Amino acid sequence: MRSRLAVLLLVALLALPMVPPARAQNALVVSVWGGNWKDTVDRVIGKAFTAKTGIPVEYEVGGTIDRLAKARVAKGNPLVDLNFTTTHVARLYISDGLYDKLDMARLPASKEIAKEAFRSDSHIGSWAYVYTVVYRPDLVKEDITKWSDLWKPSLKGKLALPDFDPSHIITIAALMEGGNEVNWQKGEAKLKQLKESVAAFYSTDAQSQDLMKTGQGPVQVMLSVNAYHLQEQGIAVKVVQPTDYPGVVGIDTMAVMAGTKKAEAAHQFINLALSKEIQTELVKALRAGPVNLGATVPASLKGQPGIFSSTAEWKERGYIMNDEARAKNLPGWREWFTANIVKK
Amino acid sequence: MSFRLLPAVAVLAVFAAALAALFRWSLLEFVPGSLQPGGLTLANFRAVLAPQYVGAIRDTVVLSALTTVLTLVCAYPVAYALARTPSRRVRSLILVLTLAPFFTGAIVRTYAWVLVLGNTVVTWPVPMLFTERGVLVGLVHFSMPTMILILAAALSHIDPVYERAAASLGASPAHVFRRVTLPLSMPGIVSGGLIVFAWTLSAFPTPELLGGGKVKMIANVVKDLGLDSFNWPGAAAFALLALALTLALLTLVGRLSSDRAA
Repeated sequence: MRSRLAVLLLVALLALPMVPPARAQNALVVSVWGGNWKDTVDRVIGKAFTAKTGIPVEYEVGGTIDRLAKARVAKGNPLVDLNFTTTHVARLYISDGLYDKLDMARLPASKEIAKEAFRSDSHIGSWAYVYTVVYRPDLVKEDITKWSDLWKPSLKGKLALPDFDPSHIITIAALMEGGNEVNWQKGEAKLKQLKESVAAFYSTDAQSQDLMKTGQGPVQVMLSVNAYHLQEQGIAVKVVQPTDYPGVVGIDTMAVMAGTKKAEAAHQFINLALSKEIQTELVKALRAGPVNLGATVPASLKGQPGIFSSTAEWKERGYIMNDEARAKNLPGWREWFTANIVKK
Repeated sequence: MSFRLLPAVAVLAVFAAALAALFRWSLLEFVPGSLQPGGLTLANFRAVLAPQYVGAIRDTVVLSALTTVLTLVCAYPVAYALARTPSRRVRSLILVLTLAPFFTGAIVRTYAWVLVLGNTVVTWPVPMLFTERGVLVGLVHFSMPTMILILAAALSHIDPVYERAAASLGASPAHVFRRVTLPLSMPGIVSGGLIVFAWTLSAFPTPELLGGGKVKMIANVVKDLGLDSFNWPGAAAFALLALALTLALLTLVGRLSSDRAA
């Protein structure tokens, strides 16, 4: 009897991780990154959505790939109704049939958004930013104004680059040599010249900010949102609007999960997130660029890297990579980057 | 099969299923830009034999071996003091100092090393942060508490009478240590060494944070392939390769150490 009870307890324990967390029955479940991202989405969009529709919002938080892996195993019977992720990773969701097509008739606010924010039939931009050059003027005496300044011998041993996604610097090197993200090989030789300048590679946003704070990586190819966050914390970093080539744009996107029973509510949430009022609040909270061209941008952020408030700014001040090419090339880029730049 | 073994079988079945899934994924074709794998292939195993991946395996083995030796050298005197100090108060103090790092957590400890090795607290004559040297320091510090406790347990089982007898027959303290204490503590050295070697082979946060992306150990490469390149078949193949290598190395080290201990 006792042994049988022990076995039952063991089976129950093993099955525990498979039991989905208890959710309010009518709640809309949103998958998003943790920390400030989730807090901001909840405070700015979630609360307003609940106030408007009466539908509570719950969140599934995690890293980009954790959430992708979870979505994949729950295919057909999704644990979440709406997903936030980067535009090129969204391509992986789409390739696996994890997203529904968006019903534009249910997204009237999309009429006000920049055309660059329409990423596919299934995913749409929520906010934008750039990867650009950021540095600490107290540790780097000369001015940095261009991407090409990164190649200056005086910056040897001061540069930190992301190794989890080297697509930005690979694309910039290719642009410098007359190529782009598709024929990126044109920039290979140029990139190899940068090897000696690299002090460290970072794998997460937190590592990037730590390298900047401690001065271990005082010049970085960095996410503009993180740079503004450092400025808020009192770290005097300069966010460069490069004069030779634009910053590389990143767009975070929203999509409705395939198989959700709350497609209507998910569309309502997305429509609200795209509205002028919510976009204005998102810019203030995240220091990211709005996708709604009618959103108000605070004077302190107007014209800053990654903050685009007009069609012309979207076009001139940011380089947008082809999502599909990026998703397909990223594994090859990483392999080349590890073998030729990271390896001693 | 006895009903009593059923819980163990149930647990082991979960482990076996996970290994089987890893094996299955390692044989599926990776299609860049897609989550859907292709058909069966051995290409993943060929791909992970590229120089940068083999280099990561070599670095992991070298760092693990060095960590084991250095941890042993640093931990032995502390373990000896812990086992042989007559004062209860001093023993408690050593124990607290030994165990304190355990309770701070790996991430906190490693971040502290980022500051120490990064010339913000001490100015080092050679670069330490983001080098193998720095990673080695972090790994040794991480492994010390476990090694100290294992060695102290082994040393406390040695009857001091043997050492006193050797000394009374005219052996110098160094001679007593070399001919009596050290051989009798060999079981502790073997088990501590094996444990430290095994877990250093799978170290992740220390090389991730102190290596600054320049020092990659096996677990870092698996993460790079799986989470950054979305190459799950490649990550599975590399993890399997590393698993086979780890088992082979542990068997070899275990056998060599046992022979030596015998």
